[in-house]
Amino acid sequence: MTTSRKHDAGGLPGDFAIWIFIFAELLVFGVFFLAYAFSRANNVELFNESQLHLNRIAGAANTVVLLTSSYFVVRAVAAIRADNARRCGHWLLSAIGMGSVFLVIKMFEFGEKFSAGISLSTNTFFMFYLSLTFFHFMHVILGIVILAAVLLKARSGGYSAANHTGVETGASYWHMVDLVWLILFPLVYVIH
Amino acid sequence: MQYSSQAVAKPYFIAAIGLFIGQILFGLIIGTQYVIGDFLFPEIPFNVARMVHTNLLIVWLLFGFMGAAYYLVPEEAERELFSPKLAIAMFWIFLVAGALTIVGYLAVPYATLAAATGNDLLPTMGREFLEQPTITKIGIVVVALAFLYNIGMTIITGRKTVINIVLLTGLTGLAVFFLFSFYNPINLVLDKMFWWWVVHLWVEGVWELIMGAILAFVLIRLTGVDREVIEKWLYVIIAMALITGIIGTGHHYYWIGTPEYWQWWGSIFSALEPIPFFMMTVFAFTMVNRRRKEHPNKAATLWALGCAVMAFLGAGVWGFLHTLAPVNFYTHGSQITAAHGHMAFYGAYVLIVITMISYAWPHLHHKAPAANGRAQLFEMWSFWIMTISIVFITLFLTGAGILQVYLQRVSDTPLPFMVVQDKIALFYWLRLWTGVIFFVGLCLYVYSFFAKDNKSLASS
Amino acid sequence: MTKTPLIRPCTLVWLILLALTGLTWFIGESGITGMAIVGFVLATTLFKSQMVVDYFMGLKHVRAAWRGLLFGYLLLVCGMIGVAYYISLT
Repeated sequence: MTTSRKHDAGGLPGDFAIWIFIFAELLVFGVFFLAYAFSRANNVELFNESQLHLNRIAGAANTVVLLTSSYFVVRAVAAIRADNARRCGHWLLSAIGMGSVFLVIKMFEFGEKFSAGISLSTNTFFMFYLSLTFFHFMHVILGIVILAAVLLKARSGGYSAANHTGVETGASYWHMVDLVWLILFPLVYVIH
Repeated sequence: MQYSSQAVAKPYFIAAIGLFIGQILFGLIIGTQYVIGDFLFPEIPFNVARMVHTNLLIVWLLFGFMGAAYYLVPEEAERELFSPKLAIAMFWIFLVAGALTIVGYLAVPYATLAAATGNDLLPTMGREFLEQPTITKIGIVVVALAFLYNIGMTIITGRKTVINIVLLTGLTGLAVFFLFSFYNPINLVLDKMFWWWVVHLWVEGVWELIMGAILAFVLIRLTGVDREVIEKWLYVIIAMALITGIIGTGHHYYWIGTPEYWQWWGSIFSALEPIPFFMMTVFAFTMVNRRRKEHPNKAATLWALGCAVMAFLGAGVWGFLHTLAPVNFYTHGSQITAAHGHMAFYGAYVLIVITMISYAWPHLHHKAPAANGRAQLFEMWSFWIMTISIVFITLFLTGAGILQVYLQRVSDTPLPFMVVQDKIALFYWLRLWTGVIFFVGLCLYVYSFFAKDNKSLASS
Repeated sequence: MTKTPLIRPCTLVWLILLALTGLTWFIGESGITGMAIVGFVLATTLFKSQMVVDYFMGLKHVRAAWRGLLFGYLLLVCGMIGVAYYISLT
């Protein structure tokens, strides 16, 4: 990887380094998903029974929230490509807002489970449910931090139509967080 | 060498190599005791020799890290070291404390040492790798704090680079996690759990930051590749190292009384621990291939590349071999662990310290960017001899381990421990002789510091 | 800069993704199951994720290898999940 590669990472949007990170993260989640699926194959009844206790409405609502947030980030990238840093900032702020809604819904869900006495040691299904969603939860927080950093720089006029690698970098990471949830939701909440 | 205060690294490097020699000698002693049980008994019992072997390793690596930091930080921060005097004072305190501790191990029975050093007041002794008397541990903390203060002040008041910050973070983590060696709960599960906070979070956590920072520093100097590019790699590598390494601690929590979910967390995250090491290998080779200049120090480049490859093999591949819970169920605490330990420590940490010494020494000692050709030739020979030896030591121990696991644990008619040890003795003999060859390589390495080039040989 | 070419398909994609999420949720609520349903949900998931990759991440416009890499990943993950469910249903 040389400096020239930064601008020509095979065209990948944003900084090439974030993509190495994204691929590594996807690998971690992929391994986690398959571990869930194959453990389930050995414990079908336990998984099916435990899955009924999940709050599917909260899960679906969070999917909608994250998708919308991702869409807002797309708008933010479009805005900065049109050299409109102000609008870019507004879209980013909306995306962060949606990310925060996700966190609130998720915390409500966690609270519901914890008050029902469910923990990592309850059974294998809840171990996976809590581990996967908590691990993803941490990624949402990290994504929000990254978007916030991009927002601050956008506000101070750090990006333009000619130079907005940072916006694309943050956007790519955020879409990854969304992407992972798109698989997590049907896998853990829906199919049985 | 750009700053005169970088010279304080010199005694640290000398001490590191001196203790390295001691470590290998004790390694040869315990290697012999594996096959001749009463060798040197009762003067040096196996448990004492093993303790000296592992403690010397840790202490000399710490000397190496500190030396590396004293050399690297001023150059990165673009200013003299905050206090060279403090660095030299700490050197002597650390050396004397370390020497006294080793003498204590060898001179009196361990229980006597414990009683004499007041272990009953604050019990911290008796745990693998953390055997040091409590006062030695306090000494280590004092030295570490003074060291952090010294380089911290240098960095804060100087130029802040990614390399400096990563190194400082790693070294601070090293000091912070060492504090858990003072926490010694009565509950054996908690005891083990926090013991790993020192042992695992050192070698599979913060030490990787130190390693990454040193490797990045040396590669910038050797290849002339843009700092920006190297720093970006460093960021990604340490992020991966921390994500996988911290939760990967779980691979030590499988059957020690911790909750079952650790089998999943530990397996999944530690299975990904090879990734940062693999990235480090790709990083090192990419940078060297894209070098913008031909640095005269060929030996240092060889050590750096060797470090990246051997760290991946030893820490990454050999770690992965037995990290998954169902595999570890059988291999736990067998010679497989020993195989992994030898190659990982050599590949990641021995080689990174030698890489730094190899790069810095010509500047420190000859005021030149590289040692003479003949000295470099000896260095390269020593690299190959030591590296090939460690590969064979690892393979022999892996062979011993597979056989041990099968005969003792997997087989339908498991054999007792000592019977199995007799059956795998051939591997231990092979390991011992390979260890002797390793020692030859090490002697050659030491000789390379004194090797004169052909011209001056001819004139004298 | 041309902004409609980026935004318009993305708005459509966003709406499609919301609709498909609703469908997935409905399948979950109805409690119906079987390999065909699981296969359908997984295929929907694969489609949805690839939409995010193509349009939101914007990989439709870069070198095909990257898009292929992510598609391969998604196909592998969704496919293996399908295999695991197939094992449990037979």
